[in-house]
Amino acid sequence: MLSRSAERLYWLARYLERTENSARLLSVYMNLMFDLPLGVEMSWRYLLNICGAEEAFFHLYQEPNEQNTMSFLLTETANPGSLFSSLQFARENIRTSRDQMPDEAWQLVNEMYLYAKNNSALVSQRRGRVLFLQEIMQGCQRFTGFLSGAMSHDHALRFIRLGRSIERADMTTRILDIGSLLLADNRSEIMREYESSLWINVLKSLSAFLMYRKHRRHRINSDDVLDYLLKDKDFPRAVVHCIKELQRYIYLLPNAGGLKESLIKLELFLLDVNIKKTTPTQLHELLDYIQAHLGDTHNQIAAAWFLPKYGT
Amino acid sequence: MTSLWDHYTVTNAYDEMRCSSNLARPSSSRLSHYLNSLDGKALEARKSAAEMAILEMGITFTVYSDEGNIDRAWPFDIIPRIIEYKEWLHVENGLKQRLKALNCFIDDMYNEQTFLKEGLIPAEIITSSRNFIEECVGMHPKHGVWANICGTDLIRDTDGTFYVLEDNLRVPSGVSYMIENRVITKRVFPELLQDLNVLPVDGYPAHLLEMLVSIAPEDKSRPRIAVLTPGIYNSAYFEHAFLAQQMGAELVEGADLVVKSDDCVYMRTINGLEKVDVIYRRIDDQFLDPEVFRKDSLLGAKGLIRAWKAGNLALANAPGAGVADDKVVYSYVPDMIRYYLNEEPIIPNVETYLCSNPDHLDYVLKHLAELVVKPANESGGYGMLVGPHASFAEIMKFHKIIQENPRNYIAQPTLALSTCPTLCDNKLEPRHIDLRPFILQGDSSFVTAGGLTRVALQRGSLVVNSSQGGGSKDTWIINTET
Repeated sequence: MLSRSAERLYWLARYLERTENSARLLSVYMNLMFDLPLGVEMSWRYLLNICGAEEAFFHLYQEPNEQNTMSFLLTETANPGSLFSSLQFARENIRTSRDQMPDEAWQLVNEMYLYAKNNSALVSQRRGRVLFLQEIMQGCQRFTGFLSGAMSHDHALRFIRLGRSIERADMTTRILDIGSLLLADNRSEIMREYESSLWINVLKSLSAFLMYRKHRRHRINSDDVLDYLLKDKDFPRAVVHCIKELQRYIYLLPNAGGLKESLIKLELFLLDVNIKKTTPTQLHELLDYIQAHLGDTHNQIAAAWFLPKYGT
Repeated sequence: MTSLWDHYTVTNAYDEMRCSSNLARPSSSRLSHYLNSLDGKALEARKSAAEMAILEMGITFTVYSDEGNIDRAWPFDIIPRIIEYKEWLHVENGLKQRLKALNCFIDDMYNEQTFLKEGLIPAEIITSSRNFIEECVGMHPKHGVWANICGTDLIRDTDGTFYVLEDNLRVPSGVSYMIENRVITKRVFPELLQDLNVLPVDGYPAHLLEMLVSIAPEDKSRPRIAVLTPGIYNSAYFEHAFLAQQMGAELVEGADLVVKSDDCVYMRTINGLEKVDVIYRRIDDQFLDPEVFRKDSLLGAKGLIRAWKAGNLALANAPGAGVADDKVVYSYVPDMIRYYLNEEPIIPNVETYLCSNPDHLDYVLKHLAELVVKPANESGGYGMLVGPHASFAEIMKFHKIIQENPRNYIAQPTLALSTCPTLCDNKLEPRHIDLRPFILQGDSSFVTAGGLTRVALQRGSLVVNSSQGGGSKDTWIINTET
């Protein structure tokens, strides 16, 4: 398989996963905002913060209200981190990878792109926005489902899964970062009152609510949710699960170099973390550390397979 | 009762579907009848469905413009063009014959040059051709075939005879659109295709693959095959990806390839370097190898020609095949058929005046207003003069530039081009069309069932190129006798 093809498939998967995750995050955040009483420190601006997009936002808009935040994060073409931009990048990558995948895969992404492009006006109203996000989430799931039934478990699929797992792990750590706000010592009384509702929504944003209930059988509290979403080996969006997935696919690829060891190290490190004894500040640092490690993993993947240096 | 055909006027051109305004040709009677069961509105609805399918399938072509390259939806007219199977067999034989003769000619030009020596073509036509490539002299590609893939443009004149307008032997495109047009027709008129005996067109990629395997340097049963594309900004990128995907071949760009000191071509893969045996290149000769041709080319790969000459790589089409893709050389093809194959040409050429010939030049300059003038070497409908449709200023311009470089121009009578009913604002109107079948030659020959029908969407226009506002139609070869 060509290095260039591998790279495009990897990015295709990352951007599609990013598209889906953006849709999940925004839709859960919207739900949360509708539930909470006015005046709590959760704000549309805080959503920008989670997405790491505050600075870019204020280049284009002034008021971080619902309308502006949503159009910036959803449909703004000048924001490379918007859902639409991710989808557009995904489409460009699959458009140039059509020799690697069944035709329907391209059509699914292309249809989703056309939908987003033609319906961007929907997002200005809450109802339209809900429909829009639902359509995007379903579109991404259709794609994933189609691939699992139509693609051989070959290198091409492995690169797609590498991209998906690394993006997923990264996104989960970002969503958990909400925790460092939710747990801040100086949080308001109202925040404390709504705490379990907040954690329920964190779980829901990762489709983890039911699985958590089934497997942890606990009432919902911050320590258990954090522990589950960081360290669970079986839940598809838990960080440790994603890291194990990365290990699995890397194991099947040639010339992996030190990647395996580095990922095993990260896994063992995470399993060793004791959430109950972790302060909110430490949690934030831990999540930063994981994100940096995933960044390194990406660089190692690129060096091993995307940018091979061969003499002539 | 009103009929969809009431306002359809057959002009003096040959109409593919109607003998006259109120009578359908036998091969088209069922289609004519069926179309009549739909009204203009229903037809427009089908047209919208087709446009939607084209968008969703992402069938695009890229147009170069001042504002950058834009991806446009493929322009498609839903009314198919029909050719009778028996007539098509005749054309098919003619196309195979023609490509065989052309390949004999190319092989001859790079070797003994007997055609030249016997005075059948003036030597300067070859020596002055910028498509004649010195590096190729003495080469004998496998099966003696240089042009493995050819797209030949056919037109029908007023009497219904097919003529060859030109042979595209360099990197002809359009075949993917021929296949996709059928996919769309199946979506739009499923009930119709079920009742008629229309030859399928989707076998082309399999035949292309078979041909590419047959030219592999060693007799490998599974040679590694790659389609070399200039990249995503090329107007035909869609097609390159389509063909690679359909054949299960690798789609490579120049930067993916490396030629090592062993004169073998390798591609950069996740496993390291892997050897490539056959390249279906969609890059012009001039950009193929900066070691030999344009030094500034970033599209090709350094050393490709070295690998080809060493016999470690098959290139389709072979470099230098373009020597026969020249509108001056074109006028000698009937002689080639007689000389190399000892046969009479099955499909005639369009009468051609060579401006390099002083008598012809004199005639051309005097009759510019009636003729079509073409540069010998361009493709895509660029740099043409259509006399009857040109302004006085344009004619004067050509009067001048032809004399500056007569070798570079040919002229042909303005042929009527046949028409075919085309959906224009709820109504069917005649529009001019041509046809580009694709011919393959490796260890055997193959011709597509029909080809890509291109249609000039402007009333009266004769320019069918998609880059110049033309559209396309599905082409049906129908066997009415079974």
